[in-house]
Amino acid sequence: MTEVSRTVSTKAILLGNEAIARGIVEAGCLVASAYPGTPSSEILPAVAKFADELGSPMAVEWGVNEKVAFEVAAAASFTGARSCAVMKQVGLNVAADPFMSAAHFQLKGGMLLVVADDPGPHSSQTEQDSRYFAMFAKVPCFDPCSAAEAREMVFDAFDLSERFGIITMLRPSVRVDHCRQDVELGELRPPKGQVKFDKEPSRWVCLPASVKVNHPRLNAKVEEIRAAFETEFEKYNYEVPSKEKSVLGIVASGVCFSVVSDILKGWGREDVAVLKIGTPHPLPVKMVTDFISRQPKVLFLEETYPVMEMQLPDRTGILGRWNGIVPGAGELLPETVADILAKILGMDHPAGEGSPLLRQAMEELKITPRKPMLCPGCPHRASFFSIRQALPNAVNPSDIGCYTLGVNQKAVDAVMDMGASVTMGSGFFLVHKAAGMERPIVSTIGDSTFFHMGLPGLASAVYNRHAFVLAILDNSTTAMTGGQANPAVGEKLRKGDAGRKVDIEAVCRGCGVTFVRTIEAYDVGAGKEAVKEAWEHAKSRSEPAVIIFRHPCMLLRPQQSAVQVKVDPEKCIGCKFCINFFNCPGLVFDEKKSKAYIDERFCVSCGVCVSVCPHGAIGEISGEGE
Amino acid sequence: MQYVIVGIGGQGILFASKVLGKIALERGESVIGSEVHGMAQRGGSVISHFKVGDYRSPLVMAGEADILLAFDQNEAVRNLHFLKKKGSLVVNVHDRAALENSALAGMIRDREISVHSLEGYALLKEHMGGNFLFLNVLLMGAMCGAGVSGLSLGEVSRAVKELSPPQFQDANMKVLALGAEAISGGR
Ligand code: SF4
Ligand code: SF4
Repeated sequence: MTEVSRTVSTKAILLGNEAIARGIVEAGCLVASAYPGTPSSEILPAVAKFADELGSPMAVEWGVNEKVAFEVAAAASFTGARSCAVMKQVGLNVAADPFMSAAHFQLKGGMLLVVADDPGPHSSQTEQDSRYFAMFAKVPCFDPCSAAEAREMVFDAFDLSERFGIITMLRPSVRVDHCRQDVELGELRPPKGQVKFDKEPSRWVCLPASVKVNHPRLNAKVEEIRAAFETEFEKYNYEVPSKEKSVLGIVASGVCFSVVSDILKGWGREDVAVLKIGTPHPLPVKMVTDFISRQPKVLFLEETYPVMEMQLPDRTGILGRWNGIVPGAGELLPETVADILAKILGMDHPAGEGSPLLRQAMEELKITPRKPMLCPGCPHRASFFSIRQALPNAVNPSDIGCYTLGVNQKAVDAVMDMGASVTMGSGFFLVHKAAGMERPIVSTIGDSTFFHMGLPGLASAVYNRHAFVLAILDNSTTAMTGGQANPAVGEKLRKGDAGRKVDIEAVCRGCGVTFVRTIEAYDVGAGKEAVKEAWEHAKSRSEPAVIIFRHPCMLLRPQQSAVQVKVDPEKCIGCKFCINFFNCPGLVFDEKKSKAYIDERFCVSCGVCVSVCPHGAIGEISGEGE
Repeated sequence: MQYVIVGIGGQGILFASKVLGKIALERGESVIGSEVHGMAQRGGSVISHFKVGDYRSPLVMAGEADILLAFDQNEAVRNLHFLKKKGSLVVNVHDRAALENSALAGMIRDREISVHSLEGYALLKEHMGGNFLFLNVLLMGAMCGAGVSGLSLGEVSRAVKELSPPQFQDANMKVLALGAEAISGGR
């Protein structure tokens, strides 16, 4: 899915994630593994692409989830090779277990963990700051301010990791991952040809007894690394002094540094000093306190939690999140930073949104942000419609992926994290059973997510005899993140690297599920029948039943017959049933005429909506006779 | 030069910043911009920022964009606050009547914004058999036609050609000219 612009001399326009990928390959990494998650998803495909281009021997693979990806990479580093694991912030929650352990090891090969954070959040269920995780695990963290710096940091993170035998974290935020910038391209530094795993149980077996050695050693490493950050890393930690007598000092990390730099330049403020910190953990405290001591007051700008602020021994006189000067949530957009600065500097800054006329126009024209929707022709839409119509009274837990957007069709009631649709199905079953009540439950999960974390929940449900229907919406890809392969697809990332498909039906049967049925997702009639039957089966035998709704994602541009549709205005009674329960961008409502109609700008002629209107108003345009 | 490019997920908005980036690279200029991926790309409001010149931050601040390139008229209005005074709006329009809203017209007049609009869907229906996937290239053409970006049609067409898959090259060249003509012909 990744496209890389052609090289002109040694520079190319790269996405931040591609720049990181370039660094990983150039640095001679030998094993890289990831699970896709926005904003990190483009890194691994770009690693594979650059590895092909630069002729690196490295292995590049999707793990079924982040814990798998992390452990694969960690073991590789035990042999002395450089390795890398890539994920998004909530992915690190899944990999938290091995991550906390890995911090205690005296590693051999350099291990880099890239965790992409999503302040804002643009595509996540949390705004958590992975730098906290670095603090929690007591490992060093790099916080890049641009794509170019992110690439540069990869090399230093690997070196640091090898020098101290500690895993290092690179934490780009979404604006770095998805920035597009001109970036210097380098050559491949070939990975070590030889790897060697030495049997050393005291080193590689994490028995409780080892903690007595490991933890104090880790504490010592943190202090040594802090000392290194104070003195050796001026390329990431430096002061941009004020030209005039300073009225304010700003300590900024990550992309906040870039944002504040452009604002100060735009305003022509030469009386503000900035300390840029690229290594927020462990914080170079001496450097920061020295800066603070030379400023009349100091503002801290970092995303999303007060990680640097918290490491200060003394916060007197500091402006930041702890005293509410900087908001406690949300992205530090230029407008937000400008507002904060204007207030502190006592400036009259013309707020960007300020036009009352524009606000009035938006109200009059009823213009609001357009909410995300499933694509026209998306198979999930049809599946959700079948599920909802079959058992209108059901509880519908769902999962993380495009299908979360089924909430628009009132077919998704609860979403927590990856795999939780299955386990919430169990929870809803148990609570009703214990209370002596009955209510149908239909959980929905995608193919990639099913392998990611749905499988343990299913095994548990079979074992414990939980009655619910699990609908696996198999669109043959990991769609939300841009279409990565997964075990149900079987493809791998590098050229000539063959994978093998894992059969979902067989997996479910193997877990002990006795009702496994596969349906063409577009076939709403068959879908409804299957859901009803599955629930009867689950209820009567007190066990989970599985339906696999299968049809390729529209991003894969499947070849399918075009069914041109129209809404008959005579038959349409304006009930909005299709809008409320089907929610296709190609099917819209004309409020003035109080009729639905097909918006040909968006309709892809999938034909599914024909079976949706209870009044038969949506029909196929037949070739003749019209 | 600071651009804000807006539209709805699925309209091919990211292509525009790729074209701008390619041209800047060839001119030896620095670029930085910010895109949206993931959830918001699924049919929701999409915004992409792009800055050519000596900038560090990937984001354009409200009130500072030179050009607002809008693939959708509603998104244009929603993001009009990004334009600086005397900035230029290049917009695909589907409902002209709405653009005549008096408050909106007042704001455009107050801020001295120059508006360059075209009816992209109607044009693509007439000339490209209703293939709306060409909207992104059409708008790039329109931006050239409006003469607001400092980019020549030749430069843009070379970049578009190199970035398009071979089977779309000819059609893209046709659409680009169509967009340029639609705008230079008048408002
Ligand atoms: S990307 Fe695929 S799965 Fe996601 S909404 Fe579009 S068609 Fe559906
Ligand atoms: S045929 Fe109906 S369901 Fe399919 S894209 Fe068009 S409007 Fe949507």
